[in-house]
Amino acid sequence: MHHIVLERWSRGTSGVHRLDPRAKIVPLLALLAALATARHALPEFSAAVFAMLCAALLAARVPLFPALARAALVLPFAAVFAAVCWISGDPARGVALALKSYLSALAVLTVVATTPLPLLLRGLEWLRVPMFLLTVAQFLYRYLFVISEEAQHMRKAAAARGTPQRRLASGGARFRAAAGALAVLFARSYGRAQDVHRAMLARGFTGRLHPLFDLRFRRADAAFAALASLAPLAARFAVERMP
Amino acid sequence: MHIPDGFLSTPVWATLDAAAIPAVGYMARRAQRGFDDAKVPLLGVMGAFVFAAQMINFPVGIGTTAHLLGGALLAYTLGPAAASVTMASILAIQALVFQDGGILALGPNMINMAIAGVLAGYLPYYLWGGGRWRRASIFAGGVLSALVSAVLALSELLISGVRMPLSILGVSLTLFLVAAVMEGAITVAVIGALEKIQPNFVRQPREGRPFALGAAALAGLLLATVGALVAAAAPDGIERLGVQTGIASRAQALFSTPFTGYQAAFVAAGWQRKTLGGLAGLALVYGACLIFGRAVARKRSA
Repeated sequence: MHHIVLERWSRGTSGVHRLDPRAKIVPLLALLAALATARHALPEFSAAVFAMLCAALLAARVPLFPALARAALVLPFAAVFAAVCWISGDPARGVALALKSYLSALAVLTVVATTPLPLLLRGLEWLRVPMFLLTVAQFLYRYLFVISEEAQHMRKAAAARGTPQRRLASGGARFRAAAGALAVLFARSYGRAQDVHRAMLARGFTGRLHPLFDLRFRRADAAFAALASLAPLAARFAVERMP
Repeated sequence: MHIPDGFLSTPVWATLDAAAIPAVGYMARRAQRGFDDAKVPLLGVMGAFVFAAQMINFPVGIGTTAHLLGGALLAYTLGPAAASVTMASILAIQALVFQDGGILALGPNMINMAIAGVLAGYLPYYLWGGGRWRRASIFAGGVLSALVSAVLALSELLISGVRMPLSILGVSLTLFLVAAVMEGAITVAVIGALEKIQPNFVRQPREGRPFALGAAALAGLLLATVGALVAAAAPDGIERLGVQTGIASRAQALFSTPFTGYQAAFVAAGWQRKTLGGLAGLALVYGACLIFGRAVARKRSA
């Protein structure tokens, strides 16, 4: 699956990877807010933000062009609305939508590609996101690949039994077959969840995941967070004051 | 429909983010009360199930396929609060890992799909799921959950100033309706199959909820959703009402005075008027539903 690439990128050892996750989340939020509220001189500001993000990706030794292509996943959605804006006589807004959504996605990607997800979620815990939600998200991410693989096996098995043959079964029968497959997948996931839960209880699980080490916010992290948060704001200020 | 960053105007995403934090926190606390703490693996794995369920395609019509969205199904099996938390964590993972939906737009997306979508999907089942209308209520829940999420997302985009000609608006509403009906049909089929495998997967609501109260709640929900859309698509109507009653001129003076002399004054007044129009419409509808609900409740207790 294509998102495994992200997992590989996030395991890097560059200086950007070694920063505390909180030192990356704060600048990310600052950048997103600066981008979302930008109104004047958007193309110039976008160019500045794009340059900053590319610099961060290069510094982290994340392959640049695959990363840029991955962030373009948002463009189909943005393109539809940009086209609608264009039709209704507001091309400037259409361009702004595409630019802002692409750059925001690239910014998120830059952080996620340089921080393993468990660490990122721990960083979010510091932002007072409910612990329960984050723990559920952790489990979701861990079992995403397992359950997806199960679904793929089931699809393959169904294909081997001749499901794609339209002539053999009516639409209604195929619909019911798909519903049955989904119900089986549900039951299997539920059973797996219970097994996982029992195994964890046997190992002393009390409802909280215990990290193996503490996050340390060093002086370098603080410096990076301050600089990286101020940079987009400074860029925006400079661009908007330009004659 | 996951809204990416950059689509919503600042007042819209900021308001909805601020609203989503307590809403999701409340749902998380409720879910924790219903489940014992150590059941988190269940919610996580069921979230992974909803992801994986997208790989199983349902044939609908000529050569097209649909897939399960899952909000209503999770509400019927895990309960509404747990379903909300599961959907919220799905949205978080989608935004972080799959670039599907934005980070600043996470609050709006959670309100649309994890809170409003799940609750709207659970409401018919909660009201009539115990009796004769069980299958119909499951279907209605599936339809409502998809429709309410989509319409809310659309209204948020419109309030943010994404302009849309009426024809395109009509086409997209039709598409939403078709998708919602499919979600309803898929939910019914999957719940049916699930009950054949093991009946106690699906929660059984109590029987005999008061019909009038249920109808009022449902009507209120529909009115609020449609009202949000109308307020978003045509703030002019509410504006005209404001002009006639003389509120608008005063409000406009109040809001534009600090900005006079700047170019931003006009733009700022534009979004403020739109947002105010939308919010005022919502408040009106909410108040009407509240009064109606009170009246019904008083009548029943008398």
